[in-house]
Amino acid sequence: MDSKDRLHRMEADGILTPEQAAMLRDSLEWGRTEAMGIAGEERLRHRKTLSKWLLWLMAAAFAVAFYALVIGPGADPQTPQDVAAMMNQPGGIGEMNKGFSGLLAIALLLIVPLILWALLHNSLVNKEESVFKAWAQTESNLERRADLIPALVETVSRYLRHESETLIAVTEQRSGDSELKEVLDELIAAQQAISELAQKGNGDIVESEADLAALYAAQQSVGRRMHSILAVAESYPQLRSSDQFLELQAQLEGTENRINVARMRFNEAVATYNAAIRKLPGSLIARIGGFNRKAYFKAEDESHEKPVLEFD
Amino acid sequence: MRGPQTIAALICLCLCVGCGSPAGRNELVQDQAGLLDTGQRGRIELFHTLLRDDFDIDYRVVTADGEEDIDALSARLFERLGAGELSSSGLGLLLVIDPVQDRVRLEVGYALEGSYPDAFVAYIEQRQMVPFFRSGRIADGILATTELIVQRAQRAAKNAGLAGEVWLEGSGGAGASTTAHIDRGPIEPVAKTTAVQTVGASPAEILAEYFKRMQSRDANPDLNIYTPATRQMLRKWVITPAQMDNIVKTYRNCDAQAERIDASGRLSVIRYPVRQRKCAPWFFVKINDRWALDLTVMQTAIRFGRDNSWHFELGAEHPYEYAFTDWSFDAYGFPRHE
Repeated sequence: MDSKDRLHRMEADGILTPEQAAMLRDSLEWGRTEAMGIAGEERLRHRKTLSKWLLWLMAAAFAVAFYALVIGPGADPQTPQDVAAMMNQPGGIGEMNKGFSGLLAIALLLIVPLILWALLHNSLVNKEESVFKAWAQTESNLERRADLIPALVETVSRYLRHESETLIAVTEQRSGDSELKEVLDELIAAQQAISELAQKGNGDIVESEADLAALYAAQQSVGRRMHSILAVAESYPQLRSSDQFLELQAQLEGTENRINVARMRFNEAVATYNAAIRKLPGSLIARIGGFNRKAYFKAEDESHEKPVLEFD
Repeated sequence: MRGPQTIAALICLCLCVGCGSPAGRNELVQDQAGLLDTGQRGRIELFHTLLRDDFDIDYRVVTADGEEDIDALSARLFERLGAGELSSSGLGLLLVIDPVQDRVRLEVGYALEGSYPDAFVAYIEQRQMVPFFRSGRIADGILATTELIVQRAQRAAKNAGLAGEVWLEGSGGAGASTTAHIDRGPIEPVAKTTAVQTVGASPAEILAEYFKRMQSRDANPDLNIYTPATRQMLRKWVITPAQMDNIVKTYRNCDAQAERIDASGRLSVIRYPVRQRKCAPWFFVKINDRWALDLTVMQTAIRFGRDNSWHFELGAEHPYEYAFTDWSFDAYGFPRHE
């Protein structure tokens, strides 16, 4: 079932208030555009201009090389050629090789640096693309987890409601309900924070240490709140031992692990890229080409603890 | 010239060794924690080789020594060992068991994410593997889980196949991890009534009661629907929730034939048409005028092939042969036709 349909149903059944449903619906829309951000677009325009200049320079260098190697310096067709002077003689260099070598040296002085430039530039582009690709993977996993929120909330809420009608005392159900409501409000707030940060666009967010640290904190908060919702089920052995609950728990933990793996690979890609733009000669090309340092997706004071909730 | 040639040859050799695969890269089982003996390791390797031959799935097993978080370790090992490289379609699975942290994780490669979703992996770990691990039967737990992986592969192969149109190498962190509960002792079956009304019940009714018990995951071995020998045997068995689910699922589509009672009126067999090859027959004995399910024959005389088709164990003798005199069997004991 689509998350939106599920939210409509939950709103109709009174599991979510209209405000909660609207906020949750908005927050699930985050990051679904391929926005590059303002800085990203400016950088792209700058690189296009730079590429045009590079192409012109290379074309000029090739033209000189072509002249030197194929056409050669022209001579008056009416004047008989002094072949002996053109040829290399013992102990000396002929006129032909002097002219040829001079032009070839000019061409090589232009072409070799340009080719090296192009190779290094392309290598930085590839490394930067790896960072964007790794970020896209991280974002897609964050979205995947966001899509689980409605299903998780619905399963636990419906179970609490069912229990109140059948087995447990109403007071217990109310306590579970209010706990769930409190966690749900916090969860929606954290998910909204992620949504707002993601609106900045991929091109910008990966360059902002502050934004990525804030996003990391928000996504950790969402993870903790989702685990809190699972923890509400701890008081209900029948729910926690059900296959449906096991499935939800597995999906949530699986998605969190995907986020961790994607985050680890994103940080590895960032480390490779950042090292490349700091080392010579990459740093020269990075400065001219507008290759900026990328941020790591982690907390400033990263804790390696992860929430673990397991039911036997 | 001999000197430079020798040095060049040594450099080449060093380069070849340096550039080659890391140690154990293509090994199917790496028992770093020493949980398996040689025979068990061989059995797992054999099963997993057959899985690769039949379904092109490269399934590796590693036991680890508890130095790293199992989720991060699995992602790293998947890449380092190249799980999926032995499959022509990049279908890779990696099972990591860490007895120190008491955790187990089945990591699923990108190409198999569609066939083995996280929820299925969590189910086979918790409902099939862990009950064996609780009794310290690590190899049996691994192999019992492989059986469920095979069954799912069979179903997937019948439909769209295992690999999607596009696949990527490696793993993106799919799969599931759980507490392994190694040597923690089996969970005692929840006490439910052992006395079932069996007076006057036919073998078909006894079988229906058995399926009902399996559906409610009641592994109590002391039910009076079993013969005394069966009860004794079941007390030593590990019966997992997944196995019980599997019995219910398998027999849901089996069309039972009329009971075949022997001349003495003491034995009975319920069998299914030969074409329903996964539906093995059931055997009953009448004790004190009550029919009881005899699962000991299932243990000694019935075997299942790689595609889960049942057949008789060659040379196994049992008193129920009278019920199959109208069937012929091939050289391996598989029923041929009615």
